[in-house]
Amino acid sequence: MSEQVNSSLEERSRELFHDSVENLDMRMRSRLTQARHAALESTARPRRVRAWWAPVGVTAAAVIAVALWVAPSSHHAPVSSVDGQSIEDLDLLATADENGGDTMEMLQDDPDFYDFADKAAESEPAA
Amino acid sequence: MFRFDTLPSAAMLWDGPAPARKGAALEYTQELEKFLAEIERRAFRMAQVALRDADDALDVVQDAMLKLTKNYASKPSSEWRPLFYRILENGIRDLQRRRSVRKRIMTWLPGVKEDPESEAPDPLENVADNTAPIPDILMQQQAMAKLETGLRALPARQREAFMLRNFEGMDVAETAAAMGCSEGSVKTHYSRAVHALREQLGEAW
Repeated sequence: MSEQVNSSLEERSRELFHDSVENLDMRMRSRLTQARHAALESTARPRRVRAWWAPVGVTAAAVIAVALWVAPSSHHAPVSSVDGQSIEDLDLLATADENGGDTMEMLQDDPDFYDFADKAAESEPAA
Repeated sequence: MFRFDTLPSAAMLWDGPAPARKGAALEYTQELEKFLAEIERRAFRMAQVALRDADDALDVVQDAMLKLTKNYASKPSSEWRPLFYRILENGIRDLQRRRSVRKRIMTWLPGVKEDPESEAPDPLENVADNTAPIPDILMQQQAMAKLETGLRALPARQREAFMLRNFEGMDVAETAAAMGCSEGSVKTHYSRAVHALREQLGEAW
């Protein structure tokens, strides 16, 4: 008897609950639909962000790599390249006023340069 | 010499089932949407019964949807329902806890007797409805209101067990997974809930 009473309670409460679900007003149904769409949208969004960031990340890494490769070589390139050596000489000449003594000392160690300079001065017509 | 431009493009190298993966993802999303659409109204009503507030109920349902889609969508679809209800019940419990803390704080504050939101009925509920309800519907509404009162008077675990088993139609194993307890506990909670409701609602039920 008690089991039967309980089952009727369960059955009636279930029916009432499902009726109340069916009778939900349109405004609430619409809000639930919006909530569902927002939840599903949120799973799609991070993927798009990741897809957008991937090429940007690769490009940034490439730019940094190039910058690191080029930047140090601009300071040390004269050591190995002919063009770079001429730039270094220009630097020396440009700083001659500041470090005149050092430059002259260096030139004195180069007799070939003096020979060349003498010959050049002799061959130059008098002004 | 190695030349980058001689490499085939990534698309040419990829011989995996890319279009199939896209199709699977779409199917997967559609399945998830179908699941949520099927469950959302019942979940909302259950949350509303527990929280007595439509907006709060909507918030916890939306939160449960978000958490399920973000964290558990990759799980087999057969596990979604217990997972969803577990998240939902956690959300309901969190909100109830926050309410009770807020209520305690409000009672300590001088000059504040009670949290006005907690017990005061919604004024809109008392506004007369111009459309005369059919007597059957009115009786149903009254019976549902009585049932809701009875359910709210139950301990949380008994209420959960009753709603998941009886309203959602879950079996004992599924309910146990949703409640995070043993199947034996589910049976005990459910049985006690039915007897307590019987006591409250009377023989007419």
